[in-house]
Amino acid sequence: MNRLGWRKAVNAIMSAVTALCAVTAVAPLLFVLGILAVKGASSINWSFLTQLPKPTGELGGGMANAIVGSGQLLLLAALFGVPLGVAGGIYLSEFGGWGVPFVVRYAADLLVSVPSIVIGIFAYAVVVVRMGHFSSLAGGFALAVMLLPIVVTNTEQFLRTVPVWLREGSLALGAGHWKTTISVVVPAAMQGILTGILLALARVAGETAPLLFTAFNNDYWARGFQQPVSSLPVRIYEYALSPYDDYHRQAWAAALLLLGLVLIVNVLSRLVLAKKMASRRIA
Amino acid sequence: MKNRRVWAFLCDLALCVGLLTVGSLPGSGLSGISTAAPVAVPSPVLINAAGATFPQPIYSKWFDTYHQQHPDVEFNYQGVGSGAGIRQTTEKTVDFGASDMPMTDQLLADAKKNLGCDLLHFPTVLGAAVPTYNIPGVTAQLKFTPESLSNIYLGKITKWNDPAITGPNPGVKLPDTDIVVIHRSEGSGTTFIWTDYLSKVNPEWASKVGHNSSVNWPVGLGGKGNEGVAGLVKQTPGAIGYIELIYVIQNNLSYGLVQNSSGKFIKADLASVTAAAATANMPADFRVSITNAPGNAVYPISSFTWLLIPSHIPDGTKRDDIKGFLKWMLTDGQKYTEALAYAPLPKAVVAKELKQIDRIQ
Repeated sequence: MNRLGWRKAVNAIMSAVTALCAVTAVAPLLFVLGILAVKGASSINWSFLTQLPKPTGELGGGMANAIVGSGQLLLLAALFGVPLGVAGGIYLSEFGGWGVPFVVRYAADLLVSVPSIVIGIFAYAVVVVRMGHFSSLAGGFALAVMLLPIVVTNTEQFLRTVPVWLREGSLALGAGHWKTTISVVVPAAMQGILTGILLALARVAGETAPLLFTAFNNDYWARGFQQPVSSLPVRIYEYALSPYDDYHRQAWAAALLLLGLVLIVNVLSRLVLAKKMASRRIA
Repeated sequence: MKNRRVWAFLCDLALCVGLLTVGSLPGSGLSGISTAAPVAVPSPVLINAAGATFPQPIYSKWFDTYHQQHPDVEFNYQGVGSGAGIRQTTEKTVDFGASDMPMTDQLLADAKKNLGCDLLHFPTVLGAAVPTYNIPGVTAQLKFTPESLSNIYLGKITKWNDPAITGPNPGVKLPDTDIVVIHRSEGSGTTFIWTDYLSKVNPEWASKVGHNSSVNWPVGLGGKGNEGVAGLVKQTPGAIGYIELIYVIQNNLSYGLVQNSSGKFIKADLASVTAAAATANMPADFRVSITNAPGNAVYPISSFTWLLIPSHIPDGTKRDDIKGFLKWMLTDGQKYTEALAYAPLPKAVVAKELKQIDRIQ
């Protein structure tokens, strides 16, 4: 009896401790969300969404160009990074032997862990100095370099989850290796690949360091892809450091906006995955 | 079934991407929303510039005003610090730069090698680096001597109630709290002005630390840009920092008087900075220091600040726009300076600069 009581007490204490740990682990996230919601929501208004920045120290103005600029940079990153990453992932999973894929996988793992500021310097040296000016192209390139290894790894892993018997079935019916890959394996893993792309985009959307000396910043609209461009993370960085209360207000608003976009993408990717699971069950 | 869903999703994605592209195109609804000028303007020329944060408030005011008057040109000025401004101008990644530190001969030679032409200094306005502080409970304007300022930054004075600080401030009750020294973290012209002054008034500073756009600080925390230092001082009780006067005014910070070479405690303002400017013996290339200038009414940590313009600009449109802006800045533009607490250029300097504009080819 005594022993049972002891066990029950230990159980209760340990359950409480682990529960506390779980709450502590989630607390920072809730805290960040809460502060952003409170400070950001009161700061998002029409002029914030539609106007250009005002001269330093003057009240008002907005971040319309940074909102569009962030979209422009993500678009470029996706254009450079996604086709290359998906194709690379397909190669690794379906066509690679032992030598090349090992090197590529190793390089991709390394690239994921390279600090983003280093990628910024790389893009500065390779694109900005060569082109002779800052541009959204350079910023998009830097983000694409960050995006690439994530997409490659993701694509490969989702392709590997496609059962071998699907490939065998296709081959047995007379389809070639190439045909099998394109019309059987890739479609089967498509939702997973899309999820990976969305998550990778959400991941690079908040990057500041690679943009500081590539996309630079712009107080006006960036026309085309040859001009420096403003982006939400860089604006947040700049405004948060400044001493002006109105800039702080706008930085909060931008942070909330950025977080909202990232959350939407995350939820979207979960929906895509959930669909995949649902269709699996039917099949 | 599965395939169709995938394709539907791909179409959604393509739609989003497409909308974004259209949105970012010139003349589309999204980019047209806040175009200030009601007249339809074909894509304006964008001229990129980067550098000092010391004059950033007046520069962004100028560029904004100039754009309103000339909708066909936009000047995108980013305050990255004088050090980075010189660097980016030399590497040709921006069209021109700005610095509060006159470039050294070595820097000018490097620039010439890279640019294939000279880099010209154009003084634009005068400003003052002021000691700003955040001491809870103290609202009085403190008086600083050259000794107290340099010894605070050398780390020799560590408390606000040190006799070197309380001595010139009878009647102000200073607390027994630690001084948090704040300086710039990146290559900065404001740092150059500050250390140039400290080197002139304190031999120990000159030999131990010296003057440059970034130095090996004996003590302190770094802030990025004038705005970063202002922000740090505002948030840190016990802090002292050095920033351009306008940042103090815009942020309701406290700032101190500084004892000049005649022994007078002088408040940084239009008159005292203008008095310092009058002492300048302007050389032909405009590279001059006016810290610790002689005279009763002179504020001792005053300085010119410069635009750095290449003498050869290949793009004809940009060249004309930059020359047009320089002319406007030297004449009409000067009347915007006083509202932002900068001192306008002396007439003689303006006349010399107008001649130098012709050197830009």
